[in-house]
Amino acid sequence: MSVLTVCPYCGTGCQIVVNEQGTEERVTGYSRSPVNAGKLCIKGYSGLSYNFSRDRLKHPMIKRDGEFVRASWKEALDETADRLLEIIKQYGPDSIAFQASAKCTNEENYLMQKIARVVGTNNVDHCARSCHSPTALGLITTLGAGAATGSIESLSASRTYFVIGSNTTEQHPIIGTKLVTERKKGKNLVVADPRRTQLAELATIHLQFNPGTDVALLDSIMYVILEEHLEDEKFISDRTEGFPEFRKAIDKHSPEITEGITGIKPEELRRAARLIARDRPTSILYAMGITQHIHGTENVMSVSNLALLTGNIGVRGSGIFPLRGQNNVQGSSDMGVLSEWYPGYVPVDSPRVERFEKLWNKRLPRNKGLALSEMFDAAAEGRVKAIYVMGENPLVTEASVSDVETAIHNLELFVVQDIFMTLTAGEADIVLPASTSLEKEGTFTNTERRIQKVNAVYPSPGEAKPDWWILNEIGKRISGIQGYESPREIFEEIRQAIPGYAGATYENIYPTGKQWPINAENPEGTEILHTKTFPLGRAKFVPVVYAPPAESVDEKYDMIMTTGRNYFHYHSGTMSRRTDILERESPEPYVEINAVDARRLGIRNSQTVTVESRHGTIRTKARITEKVPPGIVFVPFHYDESRVNRLVGKQVDKLSKIPEFKVVAVRVFA
Amino acid sequence: MERVFAAISGDFETYGAVEKEGEVLFDRVHSLAEVSENRSRYAPKEFLIRRNENVLYLEEQQRKAVFGIKSCDLKGFYLMDRQILNRDPFYTERRNKTLFVNYVCNTPCEGGFCSSFGGPVLDEFDIQVLREGNDYHIMASDKYDKYFNGCRNDDGSYFTDFKRKFNTEMPPLKVDGLESRIKWNSPIWKEFASRCISCGACNYSCPTCYCFDLYDDGDERKREWDSCVLSGFTSSSAGNIRNGLDERLRQRFYHKFVYFKKSKDEFLCTGCNRCVEDCPVGIDIKEVITHDYSNE
Amino acid sequence: MVTVSRRIDEAPEIYTLELGAKNEGKSGQFYMLSVQGVGEAPISVASGFGRNLIFTIRSIGSVTSRAMGEGRIGVRGPYGSKWPWKEYNEIVAVAGGIGIPPIRSLIEEMIDAKREGDIELMYGARSPSDIVYKKEINEWMKSVDVHLTVDRGDDRWNGKVGFVPTLLKDSHFSRKAAMFVIGPPLMMKNTVKEAVSLGYREDRIFISLERRMECGIGVCGHCNVGHRYACEDGPIFNYSEVMTEPELFL
Repeated sequence: MSVLTVCPYCGTGCQIVVNEQGTEERVTGYSRSPVNAGKLCIKGYSGLSYNFSRDRLKHPMIKRDGEFVRASWKEALDETADRLLEIIKQYGPDSIAFQASAKCTNEENYLMQKIARVVGTNNVDHCARSCHSPTALGLITTLGAGAATGSIESLSASRTYFVIGSNTTEQHPIIGTKLVTERKKGKNLVVADPRRTQLAELATIHLQFNPGTDVALLDSIMYVILEEHLEDEKFISDRTEGFPEFRKAIDKHSPEITEGITGIKPEELRRAARLIARDRPTSILYAMGITQHIHGTENVMSVSNLALLTGNIGVRGSGIFPLRGQNNVQGSSDMGVLSEWYPGYVPVDSPRVERFEKLWNKRLPRNKGLALSEMFDAAAEGRVKAIYVMGENPLVTEASVSDVETAIHNLELFVVQDIFMTLTAGEADIVLPASTSLEKEGTFTNTERRIQKVNAVYPSPGEAKPDWWILNEIGKRISGIQGYESPREIFEEIRQAIPGYAGATYENIYPTGKQWPINAENPEGTEILHTKTFPLGRAKFVPVVYAPPAESVDEKYDMIMTTGRNYFHYHSGTMSRRTDILERESPEPYVEINAVDARRLGIRNSQTVTVESRHGTIRTKARITEKVPPGIVFVPFHYDESRVNRLVGKQVDKLSKIPEFKVVAVRVFA
Repeated sequence: MERVFAAISGDFETYGAVEKEGEVLFDRVHSLAEVSENRSRYAPKEFLIRRNENVLYLEEQQRKAVFGIKSCDLKGFYLMDRQILNRDPFYTERRNKTLFVNYVCNTPCEGGFCSSFGGPVLDEFDIQVLREGNDYHIMASDKYDKYFNGCRNDDGSYFTDFKRKFNTEMPPLKVDGLESRIKWNSPIWKEFASRCISCGACNYSCPTCYCFDLYDDGDERKREWDSCVLSGFTSSSAGNIRNGLDERLRQRFYHKFVYFKKSKDEFLCTGCNRCVEDCPVGIDIKEVITHDYSNE
Repeated sequence: MVTVSRRIDEAPEIYTLELGAKNEGKSGQFYMLSVQGVGEAPISVASGFGRNLIFTIRSIGSVTSRAMGEGRIGVRGPYGSKWPWKEYNEIVAVAGGIGIPPIRSLIEEMIDAKREGDIELMYGARSPSDIVYKKEINEWMKSVDVHLTVDRGDDRWNGKVGFVPTLLKDSHFSRKAAMFVIGPPLMMKNTVKEAVSLGYREDRIFISLERRMECGIGVCGHCNVGHRYACEDGPIFNYSEVMTEPELFL
């Protein structure tokens, strides 16, 4: 039997055909898919065997006297619900918090935020906080929609690519291969990255700038564009506002001035600016290298300024492409599992919330809830008494993870539903076993806004249940909402809740998906956004002035550490580390260090070294490489044996609350 | 031919290439009409080498008949036989119990180059079928001749003529002497490496790639398809003999065109073009064959 | 699964396991040792044919570090080619570092065949504390010509200091002797080079190559040396047959 579904790893959302023969899989890319046209990366081909791992959670468990005891579903659900209700009764609804998951389906995320809001709290958030919350906020501020403006396919129409803060061939490999192939055909590629990535090697120009100086770099590029009159005057006058104020701010950022900040030679920067502005259409791709900063939102707005200045929006081959990390970050954000937004990015304090009050037949909270990064602080302070986690592993993934541990111990109730006994689940009072995305039905929305159908290939092991089923049972018990019979029924409600999803049905998005908005005017979906007008009417230039990152080097902490993922390891490793090939290829964490630094510090290749920041210490193996320049080290994130997030401080972007994972002052010693 | 199908289905579980959502995949079939004439999306290696399986015990296998496998994909098994038949007990058990009915393509497929390696009419086969309209031309090996009761209409001469015609439509590439022409230090390996993202598609799609990885999952020992373009393929406690991606890509092509030729006197390639189709960065094995190495 | 009957610490990170089973392999051959839930690793046998199974292991990977603490380990084999000692009258056995176990197996077999006079051992380690089989070496010295060297000496070391190839000229045998070489890649490369320049014949030099081996039976495809598989055609190769392979030594 063969089933067409969506790869569960990154935000690219490759369509896969799984030929099921008992407990094994033959995976091929779906050759008609507009996303991947039959191609896959190693995670698609070899990354799915976690599904059959012996470690899968197979029945509910309740912790009694410090030990997990097997429980029936009824016991586990009743106890979860009773204890949540008791806490709400005693401390009010804002004493509980929900963590949704960009790994789960739209239906499941929608259901979780609905339950939270119907019981009276906006304390519902998820890992998009730690990846693309600045994108949502930044692009909604400047354009009116926080999503990629074009399609993956439309990238072939670009003549120039500007990639900043994205190691695309490792993190979004199939999108990366598009850039590689087009570059080999002779297209221009400008890569701004502190590391010499594979794309940087292939680039026309590699701007190897200092971590955390993105605004200075971008503003200087725009300075040159204005200086040389390469801006798109017609686009600016017809479709934007705020240009004069923006122009004033840019005047301070000549490349000669910013060289001292970014480390980029003015002539190099001028060449890059000319390529981006002249050889159009240009598409701009970015990822965590832009967002995971205390100036993340400003970085995003700066990217947006560049696209507007050069008129690179609304035309095939142009546009802004925030590359989404998880398979369903776009979708889960759309669903409103963010503490400041209801579904469809309706601000919690907006009168438009009435729409949901009518739909759900309930008075809803209008105050901003707690962001992911705030929930654990609130727990430590005793303001939050219960946290309900679906499919996330914050004990490994949050910044400043040592505080997360303390916070969890301060809770009265900690519930985790997951597919494995993660470090986080190990700390739970109640563990609910969930199905993987190969075992359930629903939809994911990929990085290009394409809503795609997810279909079950295998039965769930033991008593594991789909997340929507579990939430549905909890919802019936604590929020009094009427239950749903199927994901399809939830999706039908999503169509009413979010206008961009209105025209999508399970039937019409199969097999190749459709890009939102899908509505009466665009029944086939919308490939390119903002072709004639912006949701705001006119797009806004927002003046952004460079300010340094939260951390800088001093005599003691004399190097800058930046973090990221590698090709074979995926996030907290819950899935990738339970597949043979992926774990074999990247079995342990490491710190990349330049040969010059290694010599200075007397460090040999593969030697175990200490990386120490102002916040913590880890031990890991040194990997001497030319990928990082002297003064910079790189550590892949989320290996639980040396959790790099112990080194990351608590400073967050004031606007989006994202922690600064990308710039940490450290010292390294043998 | 329907009668043959019926006779075979009495002895074997029948599988065939079938169409679904525009893809041709293998699944159970119960009549010949269900079997697609189109080439399948992938080489059905898993009939003999499961993608992932437990190796602590070898279950007795069902007898299976697979209809509609294309000659290029079937030839892969005949090549693998030379290295792993009677060595790999799992492969051997399945090989001995599987009957393949290969369909010979009437016209060249886009990009394919099977004629370079003697295709699409195979010298070794179980039952080989060439369909021209409603006429079936069939060759059967001695082992399976019984299904035809002497009523087979072909002595092979039809196939010889067909082959000549096919070769004019798909002129064979010059593969003779490739094993000594190819160069260890050619710049093409580095150029390939600059593009390659180590997805493994070339190995997974290849009808001749047989390498696998052994690993423990709890108290089970399993094997899974492996890929020689990954660095873990050769890394050991002593280090890694192929640290560079260019070295690993070279290994793949050297195995196909030099090593296998030396040890088994065959090229380990059937000209199916699947690795080219599935490669996300357009690395083309044909370039390895046609490249001019003379000045390198 | 076989019971571990004895554990000996040999040197830093190096230990020896004696198992409750007989060695059915010949010197130079290897077995696949496994720790359940961790995996398998190819390990050369360190004892002579017919004696108790002995393995000396350097804890460096997941299996080799875990095997130390296990009461029972999985064993399958023997696999691969053997030292062809029966075909030669004089044998110079050259071992570097942790390459010594298959040479111990060889010496035991030659002692059992009462041919200990036909072998010379040339063995080098990084430092005196890295020398493996100190007790056995003392025993062999009674009947076998043993030459030792270390890369770096210490206060108590009054033997030779220098790399392994410098020992070769001390051999009392003729240059027609067979030479068996095993050790780290660089040591083997330099030893073979030195041997050839001293006049040893390439077709009488045998080298043991280490590769990632998984199946042991020429099926999984990991351990190729050119068109040969190290698990089947090796690990012991006649140097003249593989000397043109560009991927010979790391």
